[in-house]
Amino acid sequence: MTQHSTGTSITFDRATKTYPGAAAPALDALDLEVEAGELVCLVGPSGGGKTTALQLVNRLVDLTSGDIRIGDRSISDQSAIELRRTIGYAIQQSGLFPHYTVAHNIATVPTILGWDKERIRTRTAELLELVGLSPVETWLSRYPAQLSGGQQQRVGIARALAADPPVMLMDEPFGALDPITRVAVQDEFLAIHRAVGKTTLFVTHDIDEAIKMADRIAILKPGGKLAQFGTPSEVLSNPADDFVAEFLGSERGLKRLALTTVGEIVPGRSDRASAETAQWPDVEATMTLREALSVVSAARAEGAIVHKGGNRLGEVSLHDLIAPPVAVEDREGVRT
Amino acid sequence: MHVIFGAFPFMIDNVALLLTKTGDHLVISLIPLLAAIALGVPIGVWLGHAHRGEFLAVSVTNIGRALPSLALIAILIGFVGIGMLNAMIALFLLAFPPILSYAFQAVDSIDRDLTRAARGMGMSPGQVLLKVELPLGLPMIIAGIRTSAVLTVSSATIATIAGSGGLGDVILNQVAYGMEGVIAGAIWVAVLAILVDQAFALLLRVSAPAGVRQLQSANAM
Repeated sequence: MTQHSTGTSITFDRATKTYPGAAAPALDALDLEVEAGELVCLVGPSGGGKTTALQLVNRLVDLTSGDIRIGDRSISDQSAIELRRTIGYAIQQSGLFPHYTVAHNIATVPTILGWDKERIRTRTAELLELVGLSPVETWLSRYPAQLSGGQQQRVGIARALAADPPVMLMDEPFGALDPITRVAVQDEFLAIHRAVGKTTLFVTHDIDEAIKMADRIAILKPGGKLAQFGTPSEVLSNPADDFVAEFLGSERGLKRLALTTVGEIVPGRSDRASAETAQWPDVEATMTLREALSVVSAARAEGAIVHKGGNRLGEVSLHDLIAPPVAVEDREGVRT
Repeated sequence: MHVIFGAFPFMIDNVALLLTKTGDHLVISLIPLLAAIALGVPIGVWLGHAHRGEFLAVSVTNIGRALPSLALIAILIGFVGIGMLNAMIALFLLAFPPILSYAFQAVDSIDRDLTRAARGMGMSPGQVLLKVELPLGLPMIIAGIRTSAVLTVSSATIATIAGSGGLGDVILNQVAYGMEGVIAGAIWVAVLAILVDQAFALLLRVSAPAGVRQLQSANAM
């Protein structure tokens, strides 16, 4: 099995960036601790400084004041180029080199680091398997232009993981994908993240993506100030201020329901009268409460019957769906 | 009409003369072209890499386009006198602007996301240049050289007024070679320019990186 280095924490210590000629800072004294192995989403409207925050970490942008540490080591302790080779970096539109094959793209950083050919070949094959592009031989010698957007993004993720960096930076990596591909790649990335445990800083402007992906969400507001930092459940339950509440949108109660799957709340087979449940629609255990609610609402029913792989797990009532009895607050336990 | 047909017997009768003049012609064109490449490509690429000097690259091109080559040669006679050097300086000044501006554009216009990704992964500026910017910019750099090469070969004709030799000697000397000779020389130069153009067209196709060729054919579909 593939060996992966475990993640390392990222600490923002009053990190501030003021661009030359700008009156106000793009990022204002950001204090943020991303724990080892954690996936933190930076969200906010444009002008919130989220991409700036990300690019400060790999020094594509230089700090005006404050510090950022990876593990115990300040990013200014080493040369920017050396630093970047230890950080995975994936961006929107994948940023794949069009004149490189898939194999060559993935091998970018290992080649720079001077790995021998055999090691690079093995690693490339492992990574393609990991991101779900198999059989590997089919993909190695293709060019990015021959891949769909979702496939390109998978290669982009493989490339970022190539040298097994402890830290990953992702700048709206799925921003250009169509909704269906996007959901698929998000799911795959979450699975990869759980498997490899890289500390990941993930920029997105899409709050739904953040709610789905993040262990914790950092919401930045215009002027580059941190508005709130917390788990999706905390942020949705207790927005810190009006800005956060507005940013989360008027459906934040429903979004909170998207944090829990039906399978997590299903109470087991009940002794409900079959006459009562006869008209209830079927839902899959992997559906979120929000999705199940939508199904129930469409069927004008009072509840739903939960299935998992063809087996009937039990029933959930409308009341269970909108006021889930358990599991929402345990969500973090489920994720780690 | 018979004058035009007369050009062909002239070519046959004077093959030795035309070949000698073609040799001179190519030398007069090639040396300024090589000098313009040697100077224009590195400067253009460097400015494009740094995303600086757009003003310079654009101004040089516009000035270059506005300069009539004939006037240039006339003015240069005042400075460097009559002869090959004069013609070569004039041709260099013609060849330089397209090469510079195409080289600049070639590198400057590469998707910033790509160079950001390259830097973000830890490529040094030199690696970004050699591994990303030059391979992707190469077709456009060659397109600039192609433009200048055709320009130089065709303009070298008028260099004869500075006494430099070349096929212009035949074209501009109706007294000695007759109308048939003028037309024969003109056809010869035109064919030469087309050959040079096509040679570069071929080079251009070969120089496009494989993945980019895929992209071009994919877009064409």
